Amino acid sequence: MREPVPRDVVYQYDGSLEGFYCCLFESLRRGELPAALEDAADAQPRLFAPVWIETDPAHALRVQRSIGEKIAPRALHLTETVFLSCLEEKELHLLHFLLRGWREGAGFLRRGWSDPQLALLLKAERHLAHEAHLLTGFVRFSDYDGHLAATITPKNFVLPFLAPHFAARYRGEHFMIFDKTHRAALIHQPGGSRIVAAEHIEFPAVSAEEARYRALWKHFYDTVAIEGRENPRCRMTHMAKRYWENMTELQPEKAPLPMIESGAEPAIL
Amino acid sequence: MMEKLEYLVNGAKYDAACTSSGADRKAEPGGIGSAVSGGCCHSFAADGRCISLLKVLMTNACIYDCAYCVNRRSNDIPRVTFTPEELAELTIQFYRRNYIEGLFLSSGVLRSPDYTMERMIRVVELLRVQYRFQGYIHAKTIPGASPELVWQLGVLADRLSVNIEFPSEQSLRQLAPDKTRQAILAPMGQMHQWMQGNRQALEIQAPAHRLPAARRAAPRFATAGQATQMIIGATPESDYQILRLAQGLYHKYELKRVFYSAYIPVLEHSLLPALDTKPPLLREHRLYQADFLLRQYHFAAEELLAPEAPNFNPYLDPKCNWALLHPEFFPIDVQRAGKETLLRVPGIGSRSATRIVAERRSVKLDFAALKRMGVVLKRAQYFILAADHPRGLHLPGETVARALIDPKIFAFGMEQLSLFSPGGLGLPGAGDVKNLREATEEAVLVMGRSAYA
Repeated sequence: MREPVPRDVVYQYDGSLEGFYCCLFESLRRGELPAALEDAADAQPRLFAPVWIETDPAHALRVQRSIGEKIAPRALHLTETVFLSCLEEKELHLLHFLLRGWREGAGFLRRGWSDPQLALLLKAERHLAHEAHLLTGFVRFSDYDGHLAATITPKNFVLPFLAPHFAARYRGEHFMIFDKTHRAALIHQPGGSRIVAAEHIEFPAVSAEEARYRALWKHFYDTVAIEGRENPRCRMTHMAKRYWENMTELQPEKAPLPMIESGAEPAIL
Repeated sequence: MMEKLEYLVNGAKYDAACTSSGADRKAEPGGIGSAVSGGCCHSFAADGRCISLLKVLMTNACIYDCAYCVNRRSNDIPRVTFTPEELAELTIQFYRRNYIEGLFLSSGVLRSPDYTMERMIRVVELLRVQYRFQGYIHAKTIPGASPELVWQLGVLADRLSVNIEFPSEQSLRQLAPDKTRQAILAPMGQMHQWMQGNRQALEIQAPAHRLPAARRAAPRFATAGQATQMIIGATPESDYQILRLAQGLYHKYELKRVFYSAYIPVLEHSLLPALDTKPPLLREHRLYQADFLLRQYHFAAEELLAPEAPNFNPYLDPKCNWALLHPEFFPIDVQRAGKETLLRVPGIGSRSATRIVAERRSVKLDFAALKRMGVVLKRAQYFILAADHPRGLHLPGETVARALIDPKIFAFGMEQLSLFSPGGLGLPGAGDVKNLREATEEAVLVMGRSAYA
């Protein structure tokens, strides 16, 4: 493998995993190491125009195979997880990681957390896994005429990791989890689930029965705490405030959940 | 319904256990729910405790008159009871909305232990059979109920528990005159036997998961095991007695968990601490830390405490305390030491120990690498040899002790320190200590006096 030379260019791609793999493909083909890779959706104003990298599924597949076969299946797994994480400049970190993998082979993966470069990626992976784990508990559904719907605002793109958990748990239900941060929704119907892009989702009015269960739950929550043992710091450590906005029991009295958005009604509701 | 829920939650909330761990199950076709072995917290209450299960009493009516309990017969409060249908529906509706991981069902004793158990079984049966609910169910068995009913409940539930209530028979006799130690330990032993039966059944018909549910022959009993809880601080037992008791329960009955509940005075009683007594939260915290060392770190109760020093050091967590008392064990070479040895080092937990063992073949571990692996160097540095510190730090014990003072004690509030029995370490009282620095100096002085450093 020819070692790519650092160049002052910025690659811009469509934000997809395939698009990212195509950036890798171009970087290797041109023998240059870009200074940055950016998702076109959050492009920065720049003095020089970035280089647009077209997504070619065939190229993407070649890169993906090469990671799994020439480095290790674990390298592929780590790459695809970190790509969904909120790590700053994740594309560039992954580019350096993969170049090293192709250069050194699978062996360096065993260095794990003791290696600064690997530790950075492992940390991003763990941050994502942890957020997904917390959300398996913190997601709050509302019942709209038999269909369940929830909103989340995670830092990482966790929907693919939440999908198997909730699909198994509520296999017979129709449900949807709307990720407001990443404008996507997990939609499940008995028999299967999928993740779709969703700009806005408008939720119907809350029924009397739904309001009653919300009130019962909030009352349970308030009652179960033992007075004399209040410990706000401990609560915050386990359940950071950024999760509260979507949690029924932490809404101020009588205010409805801040779930109403403008836009088209999705098909499942 | 709102009022009923309030009374029945108020009656149940002093139970510490809320874990939903130990069961692993996928939803069946036509059913709802699943269980994950690690458990799952769905919320955290204002007191910082995890909310995983809908923790309620079936009824707060009770024929018993336990002195420490809000539901005792002689207490003048309104009595309410859930119908089995009401409670099953509430559980399902909460579960569908992902509020909870399942149900934690406890109860006052209505009419008789057997009658109460039958009603509890009805609730769990509705959930499991009618709703085909596969989520987590933890049920309390009622002391004195007949074994057949305990069996029936255990086949339906994931976890059963019977509260041991107090750390000694004498305290139990005084404060819960209607319950006997025998009535508590006998079902514990019986349940243990049945759970051992699961293991044999599993060996015979493995791989059970390949069979359709209906054909899985022998019913399995409470597969997530049993747990218990005791109230601490209401009675005079020492930490040493409590920890030895917990250790015995883990060994003898293979309990999954022992929970400790700092006593909160809810009733006036001549045998109990006064109503204005603060719950011993720091002591409870130390007990949980030590309990964790028993279960996960291969420590024995006798290593952590002794009849001569029967109570925990409030200033140090039990692991640091042990390390300071055993300088001969250290320093530990992180490049060579076995995992069990690494686990003895303050600042090294099970995750970092696993990483050390897995990665050290490829690298020489220095402080920076250890830090990235999750080792808390603030504590560990005094006890280890690493690539960049081949001879260790060799600091005077007093310096080490000062560095190891548990900063969390100050979050508990100064009055907590005074709740530790005097005489043991000769600790300063609440009024004597004003700030962190002063407290630290005081602690080092005290530890120096008791030949810690």
